[in-house]
Amino acid sequence: MTSSYFLFCGEVSFERLQWINGCFPEKDSPGKSGHSKVTGAVNSCNLYLTGDALMSLVDARLEKNWDSLFSDSMVRVIADGDELRLHGLRDEVCTRYPEVNVTGDRSSADEITFWQSLVNHIQEDWTGTDKMAFLLCYSPYMSRTPVYMLRFLKSAVEAGLTPELYSYLDGVHVAHTYQRPSEFENIGEGIVALSTVAGGSGEEPWFGACSRCATARGYYMKNPDTGGCEPVSCIDAITIRPLREILDRFIGNHPILAHSCGGTSVSGTPDQPGTDTANPILTVMITNTPYVSEWTFGGLSMAVAAAMGGIETRVIFIEQGVYSLCGNHEVTPEDRVFNVQEMVEATSDITGLQYYVYTPSLKERGLTVGECQLSVEMVDGPGLGALLGIQDNANNSRPVRTIFF
Amino acid sequence: MDTTKPSDFTDLTCTNLMIKLKILLKKLAAGGELQFFATREQVDNTCSQFISQGYDVKWDQSADNSYLVTMKK
Repeated sequence: MTSSYFLFCGEVSFERLQWINGCFPEKDSPGKSGHSKVTGAVNSCNLYLTGDALMSLVDARLEKNWDSLFSDSMVRVIADGDELRLHGLRDEVCTRYPEVNVTGDRSSADEITFWQSLVNHIQEDWTGTDKMAFLLCYSPYMSRTPVYMLRFLKSAVEAGLTPELYSYLDGVHVAHTYQRPSEFENIGEGIVALSTVAGGSGEEPWFGACSRCATARGYYMKNPDTGGCEPVSCIDAITIRPLREILDRFIGNHPILAHSCGGTSVSGTPDQPGTDTANPILTVMITNTPYVSEWTFGGLSMAVAAAMGGIETRVIFIEQGVYSLCGNHEVTPEDRVFNVQEMVEATSDITGLQYYVYTPSLKERGLTVGECQLSVEMVDGPGLGALLGIQDNANNSRPVRTIFF
Repeated sequence: MDTTKPSDFTDLTCTNLMIKLKILLKKLAAGGELQFFATREQVDNTCSQFISQGYDVKWDQSADNSYLVTMKK
């Protein structure tokens, strides 16, 4: 039996809801011409929505997709009541979708918050976990994701769990010292306070930032006297480390959340963290175009490093991410970027690393995979469901962590 | 005479160096060689891993923490 979840803090598009729908098993229903969803199945899925993801609940273009998901007894939607109130959508969502579980208001001490609800659920499903982690890829103030990260990790500490923070890509900006926002919640101070509270409770919080990302952004510089690199203008609570050290923290059966993420726990998972069978599979969803942002390179780098570190890893090109595989990319030295297609081809022989492309994303865009991308396997809805651990499959007796890039 | 200057990869992380080398080695003709500068950590963590994959890998110290690495198919 598996129990899965998705957490979305950013926009949930029509396409995303469509493929989530397609991940669940279907069966023929007598008396109906089409398919209907399996009911009473052993697998369950919780969809947690906050931030911009909440807008999808009131977007008329997505109404049919939501109705279809709500008709599925396996799927439960939990919406962040605080963020709905902030956006003036709480009443509308409660009226339109009584099926949605709108969590309580933070102003009420009696009610459980969205993040507490999420921590409680995951703690129940990921049996025996003593820590929870957040992979932060967004910078503070421009994005509200660091606020969600703090709320989540604070809830984890309140539940007696050890908090871990992995700052990656623009997420390393949270390590900058002297943050002084005039209006917003001070994220740097929040991290220091969280570290102090967790440390005071006898826990050992682990807050790390990727050295490559930190170097690129000026937080990690070479000392000409020693030849080594040192942090510059960083708060003490966060240590800059190579990506492989951050990925060492992925060993073990604990959930890792991110701005958009998912996870599947498996009941009866051997309680032997560090063994091959107990370690969750890492699934990296590449959802952005290849070169305009750092998302694709960041996702692929993490996937390659994880596989090289012994973590079984799957990369799925989906949504806008399929553009990475189309055409024949011509990258000159002046472009100063990795050729993503060469990167995929060159690394496809790494043990434990497998590349996939979601064919409906290609078809909807009228695209085909370039001839050079022979190592990428095609998957459809049920195949994707199996890879994410949602659909039962002989190969999915392992927990899965899914992170969207 | 080939006057191509060896690339300086000392700023790359071990993961990115691994990716870069795999890409460059894939393009390398049989019998060809690849030369570049790497740090001690890169030599130990990344370059030496290619020996077990059938490559001939040699390195010579050229500066304090800089090694001229030669890889042959």
